[in-house]
Amino acid sequence: MADCSACGAALETPLGCEACGIVLESPPESGPFDIFGLKPTWNVDERDLKRRLRRFGRIVHPDFHMGDPAQQALAETNSAALNRAFEVLLDPFLRADWILERLGGPSEQEERQMPQAFLMEVLDWNETLDAAEGAAADSPERQALDRLAETLTEERDARMQAIGRKLSPLPERGAPVLRTIRQELNAIRYLSRALYRIRDLRYGAGEI
Amino acid sequence: MAYSDKVLDHYNNPRNVGSLDKDSDAVGTGVVGAPECGDVMKLQIQVEGDTIVDAKFKTFGCGSAIASSSLATEWIKGKKLDEALEIKNTEIVEELALPPVKIHCSVLAEDAIKAAVADFKSKKNKDE
Repeated sequence: MADCSACGAALETPLGCEACGIVLESPPESGPFDIFGLKPTWNVDERDLKRRLRRFGRIVHPDFHMGDPAQQALAETNSAALNRAFEVLLDPFLRADWILERLGGPSEQEERQMPQAFLMEVLDWNETLDAAEGAAADSPERQALDRLAETLTEERDARMQAIGRKLSPLPERGAPVLRTIRQELNAIRYLSRALYRIRDLRYGAGEI
Repeated sequence: MAYSDKVLDHYNNPRNVGSLDKDSDAVGTGVVGAPECGDVMKLQIQVEGDTIVDAKFKTFGCGSAIASSSLATEWIKGKKLDEALEIKNTEIVEELALPPVKIHCSVLAEDAIKAAVADFKSKKNKDE
């Protein structure tokens, strides 16, 4: 990474300089890994991320730049960028999505076709959900929903792990495996959406 | 965002909800999904000769997705297969006054028609 344009110290984040405290305008192409001073990789160390978030968060905290309106405005922008980057790095789905895009993999829109068998399954989940709506807490419909929630959670975790294996180490730019990973991510979207509906239904029924 | 009256009408009184026998040779089934929102749509056609005599749908998704598929079944009933394939998502957008963020719902409906026709044709080809 470049040196601080104000004091010349080596920068750990493009958002600002820890040595002299100045907030910097980061290059527009800065991704979440750049912002955290890390090389893109699948495995991230959560404790290290949190440490960096605290350290860098202090540099760009708007309260520390109250005397200088320009610095304070930039600090607000950079704080938001830092928090967003943290969110992306911590969440496996967002992280995989970002890595895929950076490696030139297909977007959600470009790889939207899912296997018919999978979509039929999605229809089945929704049928189970609809049947459970308004059914009594100990009814067979609700028991089926509980089983479904368990299955879908397991499937989502398994798919996320499969993605992690395919991304460590990171594949080459444009590698064919990126397409497979996008399909897995799309499948996870459907799974998450169904799990969200299940939570919603249980919440509505006062169970959680 | 407010739904248009036409979307609300189809949402509140969806036309042709239900299922046809997917194992019948006279029935084509198309199942399509939108990964960006997790919506899934099943559209089925019953065909005599090359005319669609009945159409049913089942959609799990937002109001616009339901309205788009409801409208699609209305439009394709009585049409020849080739005519049904000519229906463009833009016509659905126009009819339902869908906002830009809901255009993918109309794309889904167009894809569903194409998938159902393709399924019917592949069954027919297998027989011949």
